[in-house]
Amino acid sequence: MSASNRSSGPSHRSNPANDDALEQAADWFALLRSGEASAADRAAWQAWCDTSDAHRSAWSQVEDIGRRFQPIQTTPNPRDTLGAYRLATVNARRRRLVLGLLTIAGTGSLGILAWRHSPAPIWLAAKTADHRTAMGEVRQITLSDGTTVWLGTASAFDEHFSTGLRRLYLRAGEMLIATAADSSRPFLVDTPHGRLRALGTRFTVRLDNADTRLAVYDGAVEARAAEGAINIIRAGQEVRMSKRGLTDFKPTDPARESSTRGLFIAQHVPLHTVMHELERYRMGYISLSPDVANLAVFGSYPMTDPDRTLAMLESVMPIRVRRPLPWWIRIEAR
Amino acid sequence: MPPNVETLYSDHHVWLQSWLRRRLGNAADAADLAHDAFLRLLTVPRSFGSAPEARVYLRTMAGGLCVDLWRRRQIEQAWLDTLAAMPEAHVPSAEHQAMVLEALQAIDRMLCKVPVKAAHAFVMAVGCDMTDKEVAEELGVSTRMVRKYVAQVMLHCLRAR
Repeated sequence: MSASNRSSGPSHRSNPANDDALEQAADWFALLRSGEASAADRAAWQAWCDTSDAHRSAWSQVEDIGRRFQPIQTTPNPRDTLGAYRLATVNARRRRLVLGLLTIAGTGSLGILAWRHSPAPIWLAAKTADHRTAMGEVRQITLSDGTTVWLGTASAFDEHFSTGLRRLYLRAGEMLIATAADSSRPFLVDTPHGRLRALGTRFTVRLDNADTRLAVYDGAVEARAAEGAINIIRAGQEVRMSKRGLTDFKPTDPARESSTRGLFIAQHVPLHTVMHELERYRMGYISLSPDVANLAVFGSYPMTDPDRTLAMLESVMPIRVRRPLPWWIRIEAR
Repeated sequence: MPPNVETLYSDHHVWLQSWLRRRLGNAADAADLAHDAFLRLLTVPRSFGSAPEARVYLRTMAGGLCVDLWRRRQIEQAWLDTLAAMPEAHVPSAEHQAMVLEALQAIDRMLCKVPVKAAHAFVMAVGCDMTDKEVAEELGVSTRMVRKYVAQVMLHCLRAR
């Protein structure tokens, strides 16, 4: 035995859940998420949970493990995302073999380990923004000139006011702006895709990955894409601005204005759209059964209170909301 | 610093860093890992009978750190490649991308001792909300096997906590 062969037996920290309970919890987990669990299974699991503290503690540890997958589940395509893991782990075994062989051969030098580094994450910058909201939070901010900004969920912007200029930089998310009159200082909103100049107005700006969405409710906004021409967008108009120019002109959706303030007004909107919006307010994962995804939704829903919204939807629509795990919501036909 | 770590540092730091540099082909990474190795000695102090014994231990530990570093980079690279291949509309926000990378690396650490097929079954079942049947089809194993993999890997994770 070499000196490196340290013993690494199981840790013996105090754990209220004994090993039997852990084993049973793991089996329950495998069954409940298999797609084959019956109502009776679920009831039996509930009874098992209620039997003892050890069971409850074991199950909460199972949920803990499951939560580590949350950021992946909320990507648009989790299979692609985990494809990265699968690719890396399959290659890892091959690579480790190479590493071992090279070490044995004594060459030592591993030029293939010159990896690309990712640039400093942009979101770190968002954390240092002048104003920001957490996920699920909506905040009303009054700027020094009297302008009101409603900052939507998970959003951030910087404020650069000077004697000659009022300029905001939207770093993430969405905001509704009602500008205060100040003829001496232009009011600008910059995004990575271009510049918006307010012409006495109320409008929303939402930053998506590929473009900025502008909707004007009062007055007008002058939009200049980073590499494009200048357009004037008037009240009642909505448009997408990418770096190259403006596209997708259409009438504003009145729901958008209230949505920035956390209220979603649905008039014949498909259920999947409502759920997509709700995901912006709630950490976790929502899976929607295809047979209910296109049901039409009517009414006003408070996005800042996702549980209440789900309960409201469940009471007026032929759907059932299940929670296999606390962060995991599954919506099915009733 | 406890005196023995201080002595170990002055006796072996230069040697360890140059060993790491030969191994990694990169001075900055070598400096980081050598630093990490001595930090670990600080948190779990040990004493050695002789200098060669200390070097065997340090080299083994530093070798493990190399593998960790390299696995993290491997995951990062695969994630960047995956992002590059995604349709633009599907690319998550920068903040979300960073969270995903962190989660992927944490999952890899959690599952690094699990057989590859079982680990893949587990991540598909849990991460993609896939049923046993769907996972079974993708991996070419029986649904019974998938159920077993998921339970085993979950238990592994629970015990490792």
